[in-house]
Amino acid sequence: MKKNPDLEVSIGEIKLKNPVMTASGTFGYASEFKELFELSRLGAIIVKGLSIEASKGNKPPRIVETPCGMLNAIGLENVGLEVFLQEKLPFLKTLATPTFVNIYGKDIVEYAELASRIDDIEGISGIEVNISCPNIKAGGMAFGVDPESAFNVIKAVRKSTAKTLIVKLSPNVTDITKIAKSVEEAGADAVSLINTITGMSIDIETRRPKLANITGGLSGPAIKPVALRMVWQVVQKVKIPVIGVGGIMTPEDALEFLIAGAVAVQVGTANFINPNATIDIIEGIEKFLIKNNIPKITDIIGTLDVEG
Amino acid sequence: MRQEKIKVLWNKKLAPFYYRIGFKSNKYSSAKPGQFIMLRFADQINPLLRRPFSIHRLISRDGNIVGLEALYKVVGKCTKKLSMCVEGDIIDIIGPLGNSFTTSDNYNNVFIVAGGVGVAPMLFLASCLQQNTDVSKFSVFLGSRSKHDLLCKDDFSRLGIKVLIATEDGSTGKKGFVTDILETSIKENHPDIIYGCGPTAMLKALALISEMHSIPCRVSIETIMACGIGACLGCAVESKKTPEKYLHTCLNGPVFDTKEIKFVNFL
Repeated sequence: MKKNPDLEVSIGEIKLKNPVMTASGTFGYASEFKELFELSRLGAIIVKGLSIEASKGNKPPRIVETPCGMLNAIGLENVGLEVFLQEKLPFLKTLATPTFVNIYGKDIVEYAELASRIDDIEGISGIEVNISCPNIKAGGMAFGVDPESAFNVIKAVRKSTAKTLIVKLSPNVTDITKIAKSVEEAGADAVSLINTITGMSIDIETRRPKLANITGGLSGPAIKPVALRMVWQVVQKVKIPVIGVGGIMTPEDALEFLIAGAVAVQVGTANFINPNATIDIIEGIEKFLIKNNIPKITDIIGTLDVEG
Repeated sequence: MRQEKIKVLWNKKLAPFYYRIGFKSNKYSSAKPGQFIMLRFADQINPLLRRPFSIHRLISRDGNIVGLEALYKVVGKCTKKLSMCVEGDIIDIIGPLGNSFTTSDNYNNVFIVAGGVGVAPMLFLASCLQQNTDVSKFSVFLGSRSKHDLLCKDDFSRLGIKVLIATEDGSTGKKGFVTDILETSIKENHPDIIYGCGPTAMLKALALISEMHSIPCRVSIETIMACGIGACLGCAVESKKTPEKYLHTCLNGPVFDTKEIKFVNFL
C-alpha cells in the first residue's frame, strides 16, 4: 500500500496539517459545526471578523441568492473581543487545529490596539487582518483599496504583534498586485484573496434593492474564476505565501488554486451549503495526489504550465 | 442536528402549487413542533443555497418515527424543482434545527392561527398537543386567499380540533382576514395561549391582538437564511429587549414570543 501523501504546508511560522482553512465569516466561531464533522481535521480555522467592541451589523435583509452565488451584507456582526476570549476561544483551544482571528477596526489605532491585545493570548495562532469588507464603512475597505493606506495599517499592526499575520485583500481594486506588494513590504507573513466582490440585486416589482444595505459582497462559485486570476497575478509579484479564497466548493476547485500558486485555500460560502465541504476537499486533494503519484502537496503548488 | 442524504418517500400534490413531500429518516424521533430542516439538491449549485422548511408532520410506522414531511408552496426556483421530485430521489437535509413551540399540559383552551402555507408547522404542533391533552375545546383558525389555498382543514378536524375558516375572497368560510374571526372568538372564549404562523402582516396583527387581550402569543417566523446553523448570521431579527444586538431566526427561533421581537418585513 502506498504511503499517504504529505499535505503539510506553512503560513509564516504556523504549520498546517493540510492546506484547507475556513474563510472568515462563513464558519462562525467553529462550535456551530461541531456536531457535523471532526473539526480537528481542518488545516486551520479563521473565525468571524472581530472588533474591539461588539457590533450589531447591518439591517436585514442581509442575504440574497444570485445565479451560482450569493450577496451578503451582514456588516461584520460580532460578539466583540472580551466575549470572544471568554466564551468562544476556550472551545477553539480544545481543537488540534490552529485558530486565526480575523480582525477589523475603524481606524489604524483600533487595528493596532486589537492586534496588541491578542498578541500574548495563547490559543490564537495568528491574525488575519481584514482590510477588505465591502459592507461597512469601518470594515477596512478604505485601507484595502489604496496601496499607501494598506501599507500604513499593516505596518501598525505588524508593530503590535509577533503573531503570524495574514492580510485579506479586496478584489474591488484596479490592480490587486499593488496592494499585495504594499502589505508584503509592511511586514505581512501572507496574503489571502479574494474577499467578496461588491454587487447588488434589485426586486423589479417593488423597485427596491434586495439588500437593506443596497450593495453587498458577492461570493460562491460565480466568483471563482476572478479569484483564481487574481491569485495567479499576485503569486507572481510577492514572495510571501498566497492563500486562495473565492467560490471553492470542490477538491478540483481547490487544486486549481494550488496549481496557480496558492499555498493554502480558504473555503467560505460552501460551508453554508455543504457543512462537510472542507472535509470533502481535504479527502479529494489527498485522492488526487495518490492517483497522480505526487508524494507531497508542495510538489503541486505553483506548477501552472503556461507555456503548453 | 445532522446532515443526511435521504430518500423522497412521496411528493403529493394537495392543490395547485401546494405539495406535501415525505422523507425517509430515523433521526427525527425527538424532533419538536416548530423545528425546521435546511434542504438542498445534492451536489447542485443552482439553486445554490439551502432552503428552510418547517417540519410539517413526522411519519411513524409501528410506533417508530421513520421519516418526516414538509408542506410547501411552489414560489421560486427551489420549490419548483422540489415539486418535480419523485419517490426514490435523494435530497440533502440538515435537521432538526431551531427551537420549538413550548407547550403545557395545563392549557384548557388553545388557539392556533395559520395563514396560507404557514399552516405547515401547525399540524405537527396540533398533533403533539392532541397526544397529551384534551383538544376538543381547542380551535384552529385557517386563513387563505381563497378556497384553493386552504390547506389541512380535514387533518385538524380528524385530530378533534374545531376549525374556523376565513378567506380573503370569501370563497369559503368567512370573508376577510383570519385575525378578524380570531378576535370574535377571543371575545367569546379567552384562550390560554395563541400559536401562529403565516405572513408577516398576520403575525404583526397577532402581536397587537394578543397584547390587547393579554394573551401569551408565540409565532414561527421565516427569514432569508443561508446556513440555518448560526454561521452566516443572515437571519437577523430586531429584538425588543436587546436593541443593541440582533436575534437570529436559526439560533433564537424560529419560534418567538411576540413580545420579544419587532416585526419588520422579514422577507
